[in-house]
Amino acid sequence: MTLRTPTLLQAQRWAGTAAATLAFVSCAVSGELGPAMLLLFPLGLIISAIGGDELRGRWQWAWSTLLGGALLVFAGQVLFAHVDIVLAAAWFVELLCIHRLWQRGTERDELLLLLLSLLLLCAGAALAAELTFGFAFLGFAVTGTWALALTHLRFAIEAGRGESGSAALLNSRRIATPALLGGLALLSSLAIAGAALVFFTFPRVTIGGWRRASRPSPVAGLGDRVDLAEHGTIEDDPRVVLRVRLDPPPHGDPETLGMHWRARALSHWTGQGWRSDGSGIIPSHRLPTRTHRGRPASLLTADVEVVGAFSDGVVLTPQGWPLNVEFRRPGSTRAGAQRLYRNASGDLFYQPVDGNDLRYIVVVDREEPDLAAIRGRERRYPPWLAPDLEVPEALSPRVRALAQRLGGGKDPADAAVAIEHWLATALRYTRELPERESRDPIADFLFVRRAGHCELFSSAMVVMLRSLGIPARNVTGYFGGRRTDAGYYVVRAGDAHSWVEAWFPEVGFVRFDPTPASARGSRQEGLWARAVLLWDGLQQRWRTFVVDYDLLSQAQAIRRLAQIAGQAGRRLAGTGGAGRLRGGAAWLAAALAVAGLLAGLRRLRLRAGSGRGTALSPDQRRALRLWRTARGRLRRAGVQIAPAATAGEVARRFPAVREAADAYAAARWGGAALTSRDARATLRRLEDALEHRVAPDAPP
Amino acid sequence: MTPAWKRRLAFTRMGRWYTGLTVAIGLAATNTGNNLLFLVLGLLLSSIIVSGILSEQSLKGVSVERRLPSVATAGQPALVGLLARNGKPHAPSFSLEVREARGDVAGHGFLVVLPAQRAAEVAYRFVPQRRGLHRFRQIELATRAPFGFFEKSRPMDAEAELVVFPREVAPAAVEARAPGREGDRPEDRAGIGLEVHLLRDHRAGEDARSIHWRSSARAGRLIGIDREQERRKRVCVVLDQRGLRGEPLDRAVEQAAALVVREIDSGAEVSLALAGQSLAAGAGDGQRHAALRMLALVEPCGGEEAAPVPEAQASILEVPA
Repeated sequence: MTLRTPTLLQAQRWAGTAAATLAFVSCAVSGELGPAMLLLFPLGLIISAIGGDELRGRWQWAWSTLLGGALLVFAGQVLFAHVDIVLAAAWFVELLCIHRLWQRGTERDELLLLLLSLLLLCAGAALAAELTFGFAFLGFAVTGTWALALTHLRFAIEAGRGESGSAALLNSRRIATPALLGGLALLSSLAIAGAALVFFTFPRVTIGGWRRASRPSPVAGLGDRVDLAEHGTIEDDPRVVLRVRLDPPPHGDPETLGMHWRARALSHWTGQGWRSDGSGIIPSHRLPTRTHRGRPASLLTADVEVVGAFSDGVVLTPQGWPLNVEFRRPGSTRAGAQRLYRNASGDLFYQPVDGNDLRYIVVVDREEPDLAAIRGRERRYPPWLAPDLEVPEALSPRVRALAQRLGGGKDPADAAVAIEHWLATALRYTRELPERESRDPIADFLFVRRAGHCELFSSAMVVMLRSLGIPARNVTGYFGGRRTDAGYYVVRAGDAHSWVEAWFPEVGFVRFDPTPASARGSRQEGLWARAVLLWDGLQQRWRTFVVDYDLLSQAQAIRRLAQIAGQAGRRLAGTGGAGRLRGGAAWLAAALAVAGLLAGLRRLRLRAGSGRGTALSPDQRRALRLWRTARGRLRRAGVQIAPAATAGEVARRFPAVREAADAYAAARWGGAALTSRDARATLRRLEDALEHRVAPDAPP
Repeated sequence: MTPAWKRRLAFTRMGRWYTGLTVAIGLAATNTGNNLLFLVLGLLLSSIIVSGILSEQSLKGVSVERRLPSVATAGQPALVGLLARNGKPHAPSFSLEVREARGDVAGHGFLVVLPAQRAAEVAYRFVPQRRGLHRFRQIELATRAPFGFFEKSRPMDAEAELVVFPREVAPAAVEARAPGREGDRPEDRAGIGLEVHLLRDHRAGEDARSIHWRSSARAGRLIGIDREQERRKRVCVVLDQRGLRGEPLDRAVEQAAALVVREIDSGAEVSLALAGQSLAAGAGDGQRHAALRMLALVEPCGGEEAAPVPEAQASILEVPA
């Protein structure tokens, strides 16, 4: 099957439709349009494709009513229901676009459709910051160029040739050829390159009058509740939740990070799982200082970029004692709008949560107390630890017995280590659990299945420690990190993890992780996971170079360019080692530049001389030179020649110059050839003749 | 002289909307600091620049030549040809409108595409509404390519003149003065005619048809005959345009033209006598062209101008004022 070249009319309509569709896609990828508006556009598009010209001019009263009503409803929603005005505008423009897709015929209709598509793209720019917008934008740039150029061509033909005269051209398949469409696509790539140039050079001085915040998204995995009774297969989720750069970088630049990323602690047993204590959050201007220092602090700075949809307002910190959190980009002096908060469990949060990606810098003391440091502590606990000592009422006696067997009579630190060791070695890690609800998930895990996922391991350890009177809590977060080609580590949704914190006097909470080490974190390395990583790399670059590009980035880019130019200048000037070679290169570059300049000037001069921008042929140029020289020789010989005298007139007065005049006329105007040798010979004969000439009786 | 680099730039309706939207998006981007709006702004601005470069590319290297009709008559359609030639070595020119500018005549032609190193002719129909001189000053080469945002035009000097003959009307019934002089008259010299000019001895080798047999019989030798050169009917059309202006002058000129045409078509030699100028008698297409051209260019004049001097020996047809 071969694809037929479309007619100009078909190509123009398709291009307009494609531009409108891509503009809609740029809005749709934000995920904020809502299901109704999301479905409406494809539906309208299908109907317009099926109905074609039949729809034109029909149901105008219905459209007017619908659009008027929609305007009132959207305005009301903005005023009274606090719907975002940009979103409401996007909805309305989408309706106008559908209306225009149904009413196409005149030049005005087509141009209106393109302008509305442009508005929809702008709405997309305000609603979405994702890489998918970037792809929709590129597509729009190409199809929009097609649509604009073909629309212009179509209606220029109609205006130039009339309705009947243009029909043949509009239905011709020899105009909108692949070559033309390819040329226009090339043109759009020039426009995109220009857009990039304007984008990077346009001064980022913003008034900052009104800026739209993205809608916060609820997040799975970082919630304040864990339900162990929900069984089934846990799928690895390769979506990226964190992008991390560590300073100092991990030793040996490993492929994977063996690091816990703490989110929040869940202390209250619900009978089927855990929940947080539900206390409120308070501003935290300064984080609590570390009470116990076994060894000198070993600081680790983590530049964390949290992907918006996964943050849920929780500040994730790398393992260690958090010392400081700053909401700003590295190198930036401007603080972010977010502020740090804490709850009673010591979990860190930020406000406001606007659903956008967030970047912050966390400094932790990564030195954690060893067994010797926590061993031999008293067993008196402050009252605020009561929730972390609560033992579930319905706890199976078998669990208590097991805890007693593993840690009874031991020092709390030794008991914790023993339970952690037993769980990690005696039980098996699995993500596949039966599709049935268990009334006692911990007993089921410990004695029936003897296999489970990280939440079961950590929950079992917490209740066993508590049954021994040791304060403990379940902690959620992530474990791991995968190195990317872009030079940062990603933590993925599939790296979600759960572990235990046990409290020791004068030391505080200490981390234990009973899940077998080999089973922690994500194990996704398949094609899909790699594709997700690749996508994330693109997304990260998009965010860095496009979405987050600001005045500071602009200044840095200009400084960098100046630096590169300076280095190149110094190299060309030959200062430094291989001076002679560089000096030669500099001279060569300068000579090339001068030659280019001279060639340009010569071209300009030739154009100016020819008057119409058409260059003379070499023969014509030689003829011109020959005649100018001949006139000069005559003047030197004392012959007065009027400035406006033609070659023929001069030759009639002075037969000596006849040969030169004829040669000039033949080559300059008659298309005859004139070689340099012939021209020189003609001039020589002229000089001979002038030496023996008779003085002219009068000037011509 | 119009320099080759001179360009005129005008917004189209789409261009006005597009530019307005670009400014609005620029303001929105500056206000919000939304980089994606800056990206859209960059696309819009660079599209304007690309549009400017391409429209220039379309106009560059194209020359236009006007081809005027040999004869044009008021009230009757005439075709004016515009021959455009793309001298660029490789690049075609798109969406070219070739039009008259600053002259007395308005007309235009449209070329969808003009391939490199090729020429194409477009013609426009032009119905002159008045007699006389029509001046052509410039040809404007305009394009809205590629997007139709702006119309860029390049004026080119192309001065030319077209004399439009008076409108064709039915000739009025005008009584000829000196009607006795009407008809073909001998000129008293040998030539081609019917009447006998003289009899003479027949020269050897002459056509036998030139022998006057009766005289030869009478004289006993061959007598040849020379025929009399006959002169055509000679008419002088007289128009005294002194004191005439506007519509009456045009009506009178049209009548004079109608009489001239009628007489020349009937084979007469026609001369023209106007106030202050005259045209010697003549016949045929050349005379018709000369007379109509003179009538086309008749200007109003006052009483100081010399009265028309009719040709002696000719029937006089005086155009009523």
